[in-house]
Amino acid sequence: MTDTAIPTRTAPRINLRDAGTFFGLVLIFAVFAVLNPVFLTAPNLINILQQSSINACIALGMTFVIISGGIDLSVGPTAAVSAIVGATLMIAGVPITLAVAGAIATGMACGLFNGALVAIAGLQPFIVTLGALSLYRALALIFTGGNPIFGIPPEFRSAINGLVLGVPVPVIIVAIIAAILWVVLNRSPLGEYILAVGGNPEAARIAGVPVARTKIIVYVLSGGLAAVAALILTGRLGAADPTMGNLWELDAIAAAAIGGASLMGGKGSVVGTLMGAVILGGLRNGLTLMNVQAFYQLLATGIIILVAMLIDRATRGRA
Amino acid sequence: MTNPASRLSLIGVSKVFPGIRALDKVSFDVRPGEVHGLLGENGAGKSTMLNILSAVLQATEGQIVIDGQPVTLTRPADARAAGIAMIQQELQHIPQLSVAQNLFLGRPLTRAGGLLVNRATQEARARAILADLDPRIDPRALIHTLKVAQQQIVEIARALLDDAKIIAMDEPTSSLTPSEFDALAALIARLAAQGKSIIYVSHKMNEVFQVCDRATILRDGRFIDTVDLSQITEDQVIAKMVGRDILHARHVSHARPEIVMQVDNLSDGGLIHDAGFSLHKGEVLGLAGLVGSGRTELLRLIAGIDRAKTGSVTLNGKPVDLRSPRTAIRAGIGLVPEERKKDGIVRARPVSSNIALPCMGRFTRFGLVHRGKLHKESTALMKRMGMRPPDVTRAIGTFSGGNQQKAIIGRWLAADVDILLFDEPTRGIDIGAKSEIYDLIAQLAQSGKSIIVVSSELPEIIRLSDRVMVMREGTIAAILDADQISEDAIVANAIPKSKGPVPVAQALEAM
Repeated sequence: MTDTAIPTRTAPRINLRDAGTFFGLVLIFAVFAVLNPVFLTAPNLINILQQSSINACIALGMTFVIISGGIDLSVGPTAAVSAIVGATLMIAGVPITLAVAGAIATGMACGLFNGALVAIAGLQPFIVTLGALSLYRALALIFTGGNPIFGIPPEFRSAINGLVLGVPVPVIIVAIIAAILWVVLNRSPLGEYILAVGGNPEAARIAGVPVARTKIIVYVLSGGLAAVAALILTGRLGAADPTMGNLWELDAIAAAAIGGASLMGGKGSVVGTLMGAVILGGLRNGLTLMNVQAFYQLLATGIIILVAMLIDRATRGRA
Repeated sequence: MTNPASRLSLIGVSKVFPGIRALDKVSFDVRPGEVHGLLGENGAGKSTMLNILSAVLQATEGQIVIDGQPVTLTRPADARAAGIAMIQQELQHIPQLSVAQNLFLGRPLTRAGGLLVNRATQEARARAILADLDPRIDPRALIHTLKVAQQQIVEIARALLDDAKIIAMDEPTSSLTPSEFDALAALIARLAAQGKSIIYVSHKMNEVFQVCDRATILRDGRFIDTVDLSQITEDQVIAKMVGRDILHARHVSHARPEIVMQVDNLSDGGLIHDAGFSLHKGEVLGLAGLVGSGRTELLRLIAGIDRAKTGSVTLNGKPVDLRSPRTAIRAGIGLVPEERKKDGIVRARPVSSNIALPCMGRFTRFGLVHRGKLHKESTALMKRMGMRPPDVTRAIGTFSGGNQQKAIIGRWLAADVDILLFDEPTRGIDIGAKSEIYDLIAQLAQSGKSIIVVSSELPEIIRLSDRVMVMREGTIAAILDADQISEDAIVANAIPKSKGPVPVAQALEAM
């Protein structure tokens, strides 16, 4: 997944931080390959990508928000609300493409609400999205009475669970999104604006960057991607659960941070975040293969995050 | 080789970074009770030298001798133990703590067997030490409620608390008013009289000559000379620093008769009221006034950064939308802010990105940034402006202040604005780059740009300006034509009338 996500256009120079994340990825995979012969087989690797795709999708949106100097804690409940809107529309007989569009629009609307509170009302992103986390979860629970929505049309389920050239559809969806986002971050004016706003919002404003608009866009993007992740999960489970996405924000932040995003803003990488998501996914997969208890998986995840941050700190050069 | 009478001797000190020799066998000594200037352009090695003295960096070779004893400085604690204290340009305290807490930060006075901080004793000791320096500072006051000058005195108090013999000050006056500088100069003289050795780094020649006894001049990491400042002129020192003679260029006006910008009745509902003036094509309009007279605030209103309550700005007859910097820039107004780090640059981004921010559209093709064009144009721009090295892919934060300033000016050239507003364009910039910025401003005016320059340095204003606008208490007190410009005239108009007549000499110092 990571490789297919990188357009082959030559970057001006190699991103050392991404090289470091890649090295960590290789190292962890090498260890599991030695410990368990099944790990490095093609079906299992595809399995890892499949398992990582939902977190990768959320984490890509999170990366953009983090680069802009914010945070989006509300991605899980945003996903739940979007899934419920999508599922309700599908069951009501709305064409699937329209239902999908409705779900994504719902996610984007959640993002717009967050973005407006951050960029226009000037509230702190952590608090805004913390409030939104409760708010959107409550909406999902109230609307459904707390019960999952079953009866997702089989066409939608088979579309999500299908394979294209042996690659699961969710992996392909996320790869395409990542490719587009890579171009947006590294090659578009919006990418420059996001990096500038996260790096120094006041200087960016004085230089004529549309700061409020840029901030709103990243939250809308994050909300939209949460909806995409929610649709993938809905397709796989065959149901839209109002409790969907519990703690998704933490996995997404972890993937972004492992991939080099700075919570201070101004720094982050699409490729790095993808690798971060695959590292987390691979870790879980490898430990499960080795029949390690879930408690220890959590332990390993925590250690990986902290070690990644320590290496990040230690290898960041002068200047 | 070491002079027995010296407090501090540096012998053949070098510092090599990969690819750069930041210091090359530098030797000089500092006597007890001496105020010793350390001079040089940015990149000359002053900061490296200070960092070695405070053990932030370790010398690659060479020896440091204090009071005849060779010392090894490997950690900041070693420097403190050796009696060296550093007053950084950016003051190092915790704003939410009190003066006393900051003074004893990291080594609190304790009671109850080390479990509790003994605040009363800390405050008493702080009061005792501050009594000598500035008795108006309350040890219980929170640091962030103090003025910068007072915060600096707290840092000095910290150095005294450490019983420092050598106090190094890096650009201590960069954010002080002239009267605060006078107080600092007096304090430095007193410390020297008590036998402390002061190392004083500054770009401002007049200050160095006023404060220092001798000065060591560095250029490109090499020792050039240690001079006795009573035996040498400012121009001679500058010539040694830059390795050439900077002639005092004669001012040439490029102003044309047509008016490009008209400002009427501008007010912000606070300090600024009834500000009105016009700006000609190709004109450099100096904006002088005391600190707090509203110079920066006026520029920020015109640049759309702060909201104007009333009034208007018209450019070539069309009203400018002042709702945001973005709309002001679109109309053709760009600001080079005073605080480069805070308001100017996005540190981690390349120079080219910093240049392109206001005019992304120009460097966009098919919705994407046209990297090739951006790289080519920004490189050409930075070469023309003498950025060293002209590598626009490097993060702007890795460049010196002068180079950063060139990039910010380049930003507005790329955006092709008609009006450039400069707020203290040479603050924190070394003398070589300063004269380049002066030349640049003149060239911009010649090419038909109209310019407003705010500066606290009267010689700078007088050298650059075709006319000088003087602000007083938020409004425009006078606009002086070329033949009326003089330090006296500027000062006379800058002083608030309510305070009665002020002798010009005294007022000059308050500028």
